[in-house]
Amino acid sequence: MSVQKSFQEINEKIKRGEAVVLTAEEVAEMGKNHSPAQVAEKVDVVTTATFGPMCSSGMLINTGHANPPIRMEKATLNGVPVFSGIAAVDLYIGATETHPENPAYGGAHIIEDLIAGKDVELVAHAKGTDCYPLKNIHTTINRENLNEMVMFNPRNAYQNYPVAVNTSKRIKYTYMGSLLPKLGNANYSTSGELSPLLNDPEMRTIGIGTRIFLGGTTGYVSWHGTQFKTEVELNEHGVPVSNAATLAVIGDASRMDPDFIQAAYYEKYGVSMFVGIGIPIPVLDEEMAARVMIRNEQITTRILDYGDPEHPELGRTDYQSLMSGEIELNQKRIKTASLSSLYKAREIAQILKAQIEDGSFLLSEPVEAFPKGKSLHSLDVRI
Amino acid sequence: MRFPSDTVNEPITYTLIKEYDVLINILNADITHGREGNLLIEMIGQKANVNEAVIYLESKQVEISPVVKTILFNESACLHCGACSSVCFPGALEIDLSSRKLEFSPDKCVACELCIKACPLQLFELNFGVN
Repeated sequence: MSVQKSFQEINEKIKRGEAVVLTAEEVAEMGKNHSPAQVAEKVDVVTTATFGPMCSSGMLINTGHANPPIRMEKATLNGVPVFSGIAAVDLYIGATETHPENPAYGGAHIIEDLIAGKDVELVAHAKGTDCYPLKNIHTTINRENLNEMVMFNPRNAYQNYPVAVNTSKRIKYTYMGSLLPKLGNANYSTSGELSPLLNDPEMRTIGIGTRIFLGGTTGYVSWHGTQFKTEVELNEHGVPVSNAATLAVIGDASRMDPDFIQAAYYEKYGVSMFVGIGIPIPVLDEEMAARVMIRNEQITTRILDYGDPEHPELGRTDYQSLMSGEIELNQKRIKTASLSSLYKAREIAQILKAQIEDGSFLLSEPVEAFPKGKSLHSLDVRI
Repeated sequence: MRFPSDTVNEPITYTLIKEYDVLINILNADITHGREGNLLIEMIGQKANVNEAVIYLESKQVEISPVVKTILFNESACLHCGACSSVCFPGALEIDLSSRKLEFSPDKCVACELCIKACPLQLFELNFGVN
């Protein structure tokens, strides 16, 4: 009879210290000489991870009330504008918001500083009301004096992402890094066979409420991410050939570690933020085992031309080729590089593996599954 | 090059190009009329021309300090993403295929400066050291 395990059974094994945990890279290697049935028999949990620039990220803070109180209507932190259109002293720091005079400094740097325990300068203005009379405030905030620091990232951990190249005659500075002219290089950004949503492409075990590693502490999947789509082309191994599903994640930033949340600046593009995410996948049955055994050479991705504003597809490749340092396109060998750090992703997968092995991290079954049959709308310009 | 105050107003760069047929790339200039001036240039040309250009500069009491351009790398803060390695053609910045860590070999670096803009953490900077 084929193996069937529930979340509860796997958690009981974790509590007894008997669960067998491998990273997604280790199980991909094991899959070379084991069948899905054998992997399902032997392995209970597979840890996946990614550490890459994820622009759609941010942090919600509550500063506490001054005396007399202020209803902040315009606010900056170290000169970077933050969203203050929610109540009186709740502020949302968008990772990509930039300092008006320094385009290389922005929200992600504020988030990194607050996580590191540094002081940040708060300036806020208001019209003054009967209940919130104060009109101006100038002070410093830090991790110790804030009521809440909640990281809430609306779109992280893309399931696959296209490779960026440039056929034009000029260097292009993009969110996919510096793209040299005339196919001078090719940049990609995922951790391939270690990437969370490529190991559970149908999201059988990842959904609302999934407990994850986020920025050095425990976080949760709070919703499907924005621009989430499932109506996408799959390759023969059942994985999307381009960007597809995404995750919205949430976690207590006051417990995060600056080693796993890092501000970034891409030349002539702007500020972004490296986010470290790790997700454990329970090997519930043979079918899940077959999914987590996926190898880099079985994951296809598209190559898009950022030299053309329409980003046309020029070809396809796989992550084994991309990670080898060179791909071939139009009879030309092109140097490849990643924007996400596989080195750091491996570190996260190992940390999560150790936490599950020592019983300090239990798996959570999704409270609700993600939507099916979701495609994207584009924006009509009507005026 | 350091100019004494009485040569600051002379078109020295023009003379170098016109009379000695050398390529001049001005990297940094700090010149005020009537005062001492400093000019950081890259000079490329045939050896004989460059040597004669140097003799000309010395005749004008211009002090010359040869410098080398190197890249400084704040390695301890590196995340090992690899964004710099994709623009590094001499192969001075490479991701090790097994450890996936970034390896920097300064001896291969030609100081083309592409890594400075490619690094999302701004970990590279140009250094002008006296040779």
